[in-house]
Amino acid sequence: MTARPAMTAAAADNRGSRFSASHMSAVAVIVVMAAWPGAIASSESFLLYVGTLVVLYSVGAMSLHLVFRMGQVSFAHAAFLGIGGYTSALLLTGSGLSWPLAFCASGLVSGLFGLLLGPIVLRLRGVYFVLFTFILCEFAERVFTDWGSLTNGAGGVAGIPAPPAFSSPVSFYYLCLGVAVLCALICRGVLKSDVGEAIDAIRTSESLAESNGVPVFRIKVAIFAISCLLVGFQGALQASFVHYISPASYTFDESLRFVVMNVIGGMNSLWGPVLGSVFIIALPELLRNWVEYQWVLYGVVLVLAMRYLPGGLYELGERASALLRKGGA
Amino acid sequence: MSRQVLVVSGLGKSFGALQAISDLHFHVEDGEIVGLIGPNGAGKTTAINLISGRLKPDTGMVRLEDKVVTGFSTNSLVQRGLVRTFQSTAVYPERSVWSNVLRGAFAEIYKGFWPALVNTGAQKRRRDAAIVHVETILDELGLQDVRDVPAQQLPYGRQKTLGLAIAIASRPRVILLDEPAAGLSAEEVDRVADVIRRINSRGVSVVVVDHNMRFISGLCRRVVVLHHGRELCTGKPAEIAANPQVIEAYLGTVNEPA
Amino acid sequence: MLSLPVLAQVVVNGVNLGAIYILMALGFTMIFGIMRIVNFAHGAFAMLGGFALYFLLMDAHVPFLLALPLGALLVGAGSLLAERFVLRHLYHNELQGMIATLGLSMVMIYLAAIVFGVSQRSVPAVYSEIFFFGPLVVPMDRLVVLGIAAVTLLLFFLFMRYTKPGLAMRVAAQDLEVAEAQGINAAAHYQAAFFIASSLAALAGGLIGQLYALSPFMGATPLMKSFIVVILGGLGSIPGAALGGLLLGMAESSLTTFFGASTAQLASFGIVMLVLVLRPQGLFGHAERDS
Repeated sequence: MTARPAMTAAAADNRGSRFSASHMSAVAVIVVMAAWPGAIASSESFLLYVGTLVVLYSVGAMSLHLVFRMGQVSFAHAAFLGIGGYTSALLLTGSGLSWPLAFCASGLVSGLFGLLLGPIVLRLRGVYFVLFTFILCEFAERVFTDWGSLTNGAGGVAGIPAPPAFSSPVSFYYLCLGVAVLCALICRGVLKSDVGEAIDAIRTSESLAESNGVPVFRIKVAIFAISCLLVGFQGALQASFVHYISPASYTFDESLRFVVMNVIGGMNSLWGPVLGSVFIIALPELLRNWVEYQWVLYGVVLVLAMRYLPGGLYELGERASALLRKGGA
Repeated sequence: MSRQVLVVSGLGKSFGALQAISDLHFHVEDGEIVGLIGPNGAGKTTAINLISGRLKPDTGMVRLEDKVVTGFSTNSLVQRGLVRTFQSTAVYPERSVWSNVLRGAFAEIYKGFWPALVNTGAQKRRRDAAIVHVETILDELGLQDVRDVPAQQLPYGRQKTLGLAIAIASRPRVILLDEPAAGLSAEEVDRVADVIRRINSRGVSVVVVDHNMRFISGLCRRVVVLHHGRELCTGKPAEIAANPQVIEAYLGTVNEPA
Repeated sequence: MLSLPVLAQVVVNGVNLGAIYILMALGFTMIFGIMRIVNFAHGAFAMLGGFALYFLLMDAHVPFLLALPLGALLVGAGSLLAERFVLRHLYHNELQGMIATLGLSMVMIYLAAIVFGVSQRSVPAVYSEIFFFGPLVVPMDRLVVLGIAAVTLLLFFLFMRYTKPGLAMRVAAQDLEVAEAQGINAAAHYQAAFFIASSLAALAGGLIGQLYALSPFMGATPLMKSFIVVILGGLGSIPGAALGGLLLGMAESSLTTFFGASTAQLASFGIVMLVLVLRPQGLFGHAERDS
């Protein structure tokens, strides 16, 4: 399967560092997100909860975006989210390791698994890659369940502490926001660097990229590992946020969520997964009043979006702003 | 005697029961243009794929300058100065001509994952040098007027030229051209031949694969004829054209318009 | 432990499982081969097939041997709505098509949960006889499943092999442009293929509901088995799906008998991963062409 964003030559060549609309939106988003707890006041803990989830999921969605940009769609991200989650949960509850160390370990272990599995998975392309990663995701869930001596099986791990300095909901929200901003900077750095050039070349044509001297396979594995590392951090944060994990926290639905965030948000820009995570996390919460029909409506939205909005929300925004500019001129 | 930059000896490859290439020998001298011709299905593209690292040979050896490079990956061969082009046009369609050529210089810029990722000073210097080099290539190959045009909007003939520009951007010692004139009009064929000569005059040795005899004989002083995966004969274009075996190989299979 | 009766039992169960997997995988691989869509809603059609059979048997009192094909054809007909309103616009658009079928499958599953409730039910056994062939114990319902699957598969292969529409579908699966150049009406064949594929899935769903249990979420497992089968057999390959299905059924049956269900699941995942690594084009498939 090739996720092949359309990109105009002018836009693609514009790698200059002028202070662009994109920078301004980034600052605006960060300001809004930073002001979120104040804006909703402390009474609305539900909205703070949703906000934290959005920020958390944007980490995984952005990390998967890197894989998307190579033209691959991975359904295995829930497995790496789980590896991160279990690593930090087990270290925190079992060995009493300090929170920052457990946090770092979760990313590293997840990234290491990415580095080990990447060379196997990335030999596959297109639909075979999709199906394999799907199976990998199911496999991981089974391992989480069956390896009871380590993971406590289906019972899960309870009592996962939040970091002592960030134990209040608001401060934990800011911790997540900080990690998300850092993750965005890393992803942006990767995409803007010459490695990003290589990623783009790989998406267009692996054989051409290879004949231009791009070490295609190595770059694919490295990017996959970085992506797994980042989603591992989300796993650690999420485990400390919910205080409980089990194999049911890392089902195919989670992988699907990351993929859908990217597809609905838009695949041409790092903004895509950010918009996607706002939309996909907020949407079911907004549909809570129709709790019976929540998932049905979610499915309908997916179908409609694929039909009428193949470029995602980001493209919709671009088109709208282009219209506005035209109207203003 | 001048130096041999590329030596292929005893190269063989089979796909299941099909022996695509067997015991192929030829060499390229420094600054030479060698033609590799043969009727359809003779194994020309397979030969290129074997030499350029896209396929691993079953037997035989490839030597680039003084180093045996048999079975090396394509990108490491590019780093060592051996570049190939593709039969169908291979460009990055959505990117401008300029950034296509810069991509061609990737091997010059990229010397490792971390420097590329964190954009070190050395990385920037290499990129700046490559950008300067891109300008000279665009000048020489006559692509300056379309430098900002997305590659997919170029006419077919100029896309082929762009393919050549991408190939030489990494300053190769040897380039392997897989049917650079396929699908072009007579006029465009002449233009591509001209571009290849210009590339050659920069000191790049060239292997041209084609089945168009007229194109090859106008370009090369030495031609290797492939037939059924084997080397049928090697010689000057005029000798080849008069060789009864070659005529039979061509007429016996497909009647190529010369 | 390795006695003849045990082995024979393993074979009977394996062939049974294999038959159901083949019914599922054929449609899945066909839709991918012809329309380039990874149909994540395929399991949901199997689920609907299970419920269709249930209501035809319980409420309409249709005899089993009639209810089974009738239910499958009803679901097949219903699937044409999905084809018309969802998939038609997304053919050959692998990513968007895949996500849309995921959405479609959510709609179907959660609507089913609302309409039918989430509790598990089972299609009552119609045939309770048990046969003893020497040391071999074969419940009648398994024999019926096997018979129905065999007849359906035979019909399917005859259709694909000897009829004009079948041939046209195979051509379309191989090369759409050639098919259209030869005047094959792609849209009509897409509908026909989707109808057949969904009917096969629904039939498999009916058989699963009969042998195991019925719930809105029952489609997930057979869907994943289809993935595994087509990976083993090579995507888009019909004989590959048949061989892969049989292979998976036999492997699961023997692994379950000798090592237990949980190990069998892990092992079958392991085998599939191994196959993908060693032969990415599947055991019986051709290498994916470079685009």
